[in-house]
Amino acid sequence: MTHQPVLSIQNLSVAYMARRGMVKAVRDVSFDVFPSETVAVIGESGCGKTTLALALVRLLSRSAKITSGKVIFRGGDHSAPVDVLRLNQRQLRAFRWRNCAMVFQSALNALNPVLKISAQVQETARAHGEHDAKRVEERALWLFQQVRLDPRRVYNAYPHELSGGMRQRVLLALGLLLDPQVVILDEPTTALDVLTQRTIIEVLKRLREEMGFALIFISHDLSMAAELAHRIVTMYAGSVVEIGQVNEVFYRPKHPYTLGLMRAVPNLSGGRAELVSIPGSPPDLIDLPKGCAFAPRCSYAQAICHEQAPPLEMRAPGHASACHFWDRLPVLRELPSSQEVG
Amino acid sequence: MVETSLSNAPPSILAVLRTRIERLFKSYLFRSLLQALFTIWLVLSVTFVLIRLMPGSPVDILVDRLVSEQGLTREEALSQAAAMFSVNFNAPIHEQYFQYLGNLLRGDLGVSISSTNTPVIEIIARFLPWTLFSVGLGLLISFVLGLLLGMLMAYWRNSFFDIAISTVASFLSSIPNYLLPIILIYLIGVQWKLLPVARMRGTYDPKLTPSLTPEFIASVLLYAILPVLTYVLSQVGHWALSMKNSTLSVLGEEYVNAAHARGLPQRRILIAYVGRNASLPLFTQLALSVGSVVGGAIIIELFFMYQGIGIRLFEAIGARDYPLMQGIFLMITVSTVLANLLADLLYSQLDPRVRLGTNK
Repeated sequence: MTHQPVLSIQNLSVAYMARRGMVKAVRDVSFDVFPSETVAVIGESGCGKTTLALALVRLLSRSAKITSGKVIFRGGDHSAPVDVLRLNQRQLRAFRWRNCAMVFQSALNALNPVLKISAQVQETARAHGEHDAKRVEERALWLFQQVRLDPRRVYNAYPHELSGGMRQRVLLALGLLLDPQVVILDEPTTALDVLTQRTIIEVLKRLREEMGFALIFISHDLSMAAELAHRIVTMYAGSVVEIGQVNEVFYRPKHPYTLGLMRAVPNLSGGRAELVSIPGSPPDLIDLPKGCAFAPRCSYAQAICHEQAPPLEMRAPGHASACHFWDRLPVLRELPSSQEVG
Repeated sequence: MVETSLSNAPPSILAVLRTRIERLFKSYLFRSLLQALFTIWLVLSVTFVLIRLMPGSPVDILVDRLVSEQGLTREEALSQAAAMFSVNFNAPIHEQYFQYLGNLLRGDLGVSISSTNTPVIEIIARFLPWTLFSVGLGLLISFVLGLLLGMLMAYWRNSFFDIAISTVASFLSSIPNYLLPIILIYLIGVQWKLLPVARMRGTYDPKLTPSLTPEFIASVLLYAILPVLTYVLSQVGHWALSMKNSTLSVLGEEYVNAAHARGLPQRRILIAYVGRNASLPLFTQLALSVGSVVGGAIIIELFFMYQGIGIRLFEAIGARDYPLMQGIFLMITVSTVLANLLADLLYSQLDPRVRLGTNK
């Protein structure tokens, strides 16, 4: 590939300082995001997805500390790559939203209740040096139309006058206001009904074609990830356990955790496959088990898994997995579930 | 006739008129105003009933006193009492009621018993402004100061600043309000001799005549320092601690995080996001506290001999000057209701979610 990644996450580790010790919420995570590419980060609650996203724009709470790593951002052909983690406050403020917009999990509360949408649009633009209010308004109205909102009504409304789905779309439009190179969506549809989810997926697909931003998409909704993403990153206990092209990962998973995630959700086209949940619960992130973190819950685990942590290595072209027995996993497309995971 | 002319008129005018009226009734301002007027009317009516209808009412007591002390006949005493309350006791009760309301509307609150034949409204007009000035200033300073301190405490939570101010604030709010003036007089007047406390009686230097000269204004401010300081010290702790709690909960809100993510300047987030949202619940408390603070003016004005309405009320109670008491209570009620109305309207400007019913 000739083009370079727009965002390159290198050996990123984040820990929360708790009374009992350091909660290692993100452990040595590395992956690249290329321009116009959509990467879905999947995993169960508490696996470090949101912490990872917050670390990328340095919005972690005070108790969190980035213990190692780099986040290299390449803005364009002319600008030199920068390490987001080394930006000063002024540069960071400029980086946020203009280069990298983050749409939050709870859109219901992500807008200031006492300011009109118009005021929040304008102040965002002003904060990044756009002082032509008329032009900003036109752009906002156009974006509202793109996300299928009634532009005039929404622009002049207060947040409480809009429904949850509308606020989510307002936030999405607001995120695209400054034409950022990277957009991070943290569980963008969790609180929404299925039809509104559909609308948002459609809107996202169309807008990323038109505007060409890279999308980092954090979700536990596998069907949505499958539909939107080009590549899948599976996280478990704070680290990446599998990464690859979407079809590769979903049809030929090379990590038992990804396989377990897929067997735990109903599949409309997958026939009468049995739903199997993953036994046990995620490990204590303060005191991680020796060896593979997933081993205690894994049906493929052998003695070596409890002794030695498997490295994240390429197992097929563009498809990496951190499992000693990756080649024992079934190929899902040809082999519907016949083997018990539990 | 009227009906035909109305139906002949273009329907659009009628429709416009109707929507205008509907909009008026739906508007927040109108409803708040109506509510305030209703409250005032209710208080006036209850006062009327209490004074005139209940056995052993102030009128009966006044009549008894006039008979026994001045040797008047019952008839004479009754007519004199009637003059003092400015009401005619021989009229039917509903006429008395409307006469009473009419008198109030004209500002006739009767005549003071203790300070011979001065109209109550004159006494109130002379002393109430000083109380409103000192209490209002004290409340304003303590509120603004408390908001600032509370916000800083929340931002620098668990710092030395937070712990120190928290301790002082809870200490100050737990001092009984009659002790604070004594401590202030002792420290400022006796120990440090910062102010000539003994000479500072009244609301301004008696040698000056009221005017808008800088000299007079300086004197007014000087004489108000101690009462205002007392209000501020007794209130600021409460405001600071409330604001700290409120700010802490707002700081955890997603929209503050999102504002940082949007790259807004720190100042903008501090004022329009954290400050504005965190102070909202405090404005409700402010409206509620206005009434109790005006009532609490008595003790502070007595200690500093600050010639406000509180001292007059104290004297009126001592002298059983019922018309004056009634007048002062009515004024306190009205100012509390008006302060509430003001706070209500202010709140509706600050929080759009309250402005329900206003047409877009």
